[in-house]
Amino acid sequence: MEQITAAFPRVTRRRTRRREWLTDLVLLTPGVGYLLLFMCVPLAQVVLRGFGLLAIGEPSHFTLALYREILASKIYRDSIVFSLYFALGTTVVSLALALVASALLQVNFPGRSLISVLYKIPLVVPSLVAAFLVLTIIDQGGIIARAVARFGVEWPELVHDRWGMGIILVLVWHNVPIMIVILSAVMSAIPHDLSAAARNLGASPWQVFRNVTLPLSLPGISAASLLVFIGVFGAFSIPSLVGAAYPKAISVVMSTEVLDRANWALASALGTIVTVLSAVLLYMYYRLIRHQEAAQR
Amino acid sequence: MTHPWWLRGAPGRWMLALVFFGLASIGLIIPLIVGVLWSLVNPNVGWFPPAIVPASLSLANWRAMLSVPEIGQAFVMSFLIAPLVTVLCSALALPTGYALGRRRLRMRRTIELLVLAPIILPGIVLATGLGSMFIRLGLSHTIPGVVLVQTVVLLPFMIRIVAATFEGVPQDLIDAGRNLGASPWALTRHVLIPLVKPGLFAGGLFTFIGSLEEFVLTFIVGMPHVQTLPVLLWAYLGGRSSIFTYAAVVTMVLLVPTILLMFIAERTLRQEYLAAGFGKV
Repeated sequence: MEQITAAFPRVTRRRTRRREWLTDLVLLTPGVGYLLLFMCVPLAQVVLRGFGLLAIGEPSHFTLALYREILASKIYRDSIVFSLYFALGTTVVSLALALVASALLQVNFPGRSLISVLYKIPLVVPSLVAAFLVLTIIDQGGIIARAVARFGVEWPELVHDRWGMGIILVLVWHNVPIMIVILSAVMSAIPHDLSAAARNLGASPWQVFRNVTLPLSLPGISAASLLVFIGVFGAFSIPSLVGAAYPKAISVVMSTEVLDRANWALASALGTIVTVLSAVLLYMYYRLIRHQEAAQR
Repeated sequence: MTHPWWLRGAPGRWMLALVFFGLASIGLIIPLIVGVLWSLVNPNVGWFPPAIVPASLSLANWRAMLSVPEIGQAFVMSFLIAPLVTVLCSALALPTGYALGRRRLRMRRTIELLVLAPIILPGIVLATGLGSMFIRLGLSHTIPGVVLVQTVVLLPFMIRIVAATFEGVPQDLIDAGRNLGASPWALTRHVLIPLVKPGLFAGGLFTFIGSLEEFVLTFIVGMPHVQTLPVLLWAYLGGRSSIFTYAAVVTMVLLVPTILLMFIAERTLRQEYLAAGFGKV
């Protein structure tokens, strides 16, 4: 048998390799082909249109005029800064809350299993519904405002406010569970021996958290933060409903350019900025989770 | 014990439980109750500050689902599009997910990154690109157009869930079946399909509910002719005109399936499938 295979090794191997490759291609074509056609092509069009190419209803030629327009206009600049601001704010606040919550969820308290189902509900709630639910509570006509009004306290304007407090609140409500899922998975994977050893050597619980738990959760912390930041930076529905008239989030500006002014070129230039930033962060996130999966194996 | 002293005894743990349940009720249970109350407000009386509880309740807003044509139409539209998207996603994701889950691929990293991208890239950017593309193709404001754009964002979840499902099938079982003389057909029928069924079911459910909830792409590509429930909700919440009571009704219609999914997923399905779908660590 071995002699036979030794006689024609190359031909058969090459042929099976080619057949394998063809099978892969046939299997991958539906999914990957669809994404290439309906994701990569439109994204490429957005980027090209941002540079004045592929223009709709105008002569197209390469130009940086759209980016100059964006940089020159206070409205567009402010929208980019505002989006970065609430994305960063949401990420920091959610991370702080999620760290505390997932550290406490490691403790075995009565009703923990119920809590670990309940806290995941916002994960599956659509963002529009999240906006509605939080609005009924924190808006000026909301439940808290009504309750404190009895004691003569005037509830501050949290929705449609200049500082985007309403946006951050709703986004935090929506994103904390994702962070807790990731962080508590990472934290529960930390061997118990380590923290026990640290405690035996005289570390206080706070020192254990600060010097053992936190450093070991760092990959999870960075992955979760990147994920939340990208998602929030481009979020549309919540800023469009809870945001102020000025400044507007970059996604809201894009939608008005498209729907109200049919200015696809400018929306594309703004979209390119968002895409480049998200793509860089996406690649960083992918590298992170690859590392973690490799470490787990 | 590694816990601080205040968490070691029973009282500390009860305190912790109290804190968590307090937070859950402020953050989750009260908003849900208030949402239900808004959907039950009597439109003739209203619910104005400073009343904490509406003065009069009625089912008038729920009856509006039948009497107000736009709500009924959006309902039909949503439940027409969701099965179409689910079927399309399953058909496209099955072969690709199988290849990703069970075969050694060249360019695996590139493909994985490509599949991760629509989950993470902002919907508004995809919507801008697809919106102009579909205007040229004549697919804007049509049901097929909306089905196609929703598939772009939901297909990656389906592919990831299918891939995780096939990856989770133990090779031993297949080898054992083959050693015992099962034909490829029998192997598929009696070993592979029963093992992957829960995962595929989870993927389908996930896609169906994802389609019911999808907003940004449907909004940009479908407006104004294709109005699904989330698009209507956006309008009721202050997009163009603000009607809080109708918004509450639409909210409840959208919320019930997602919470059901949540509980089904928690109880019956392996967490990995859902985690794979969310694209998380």
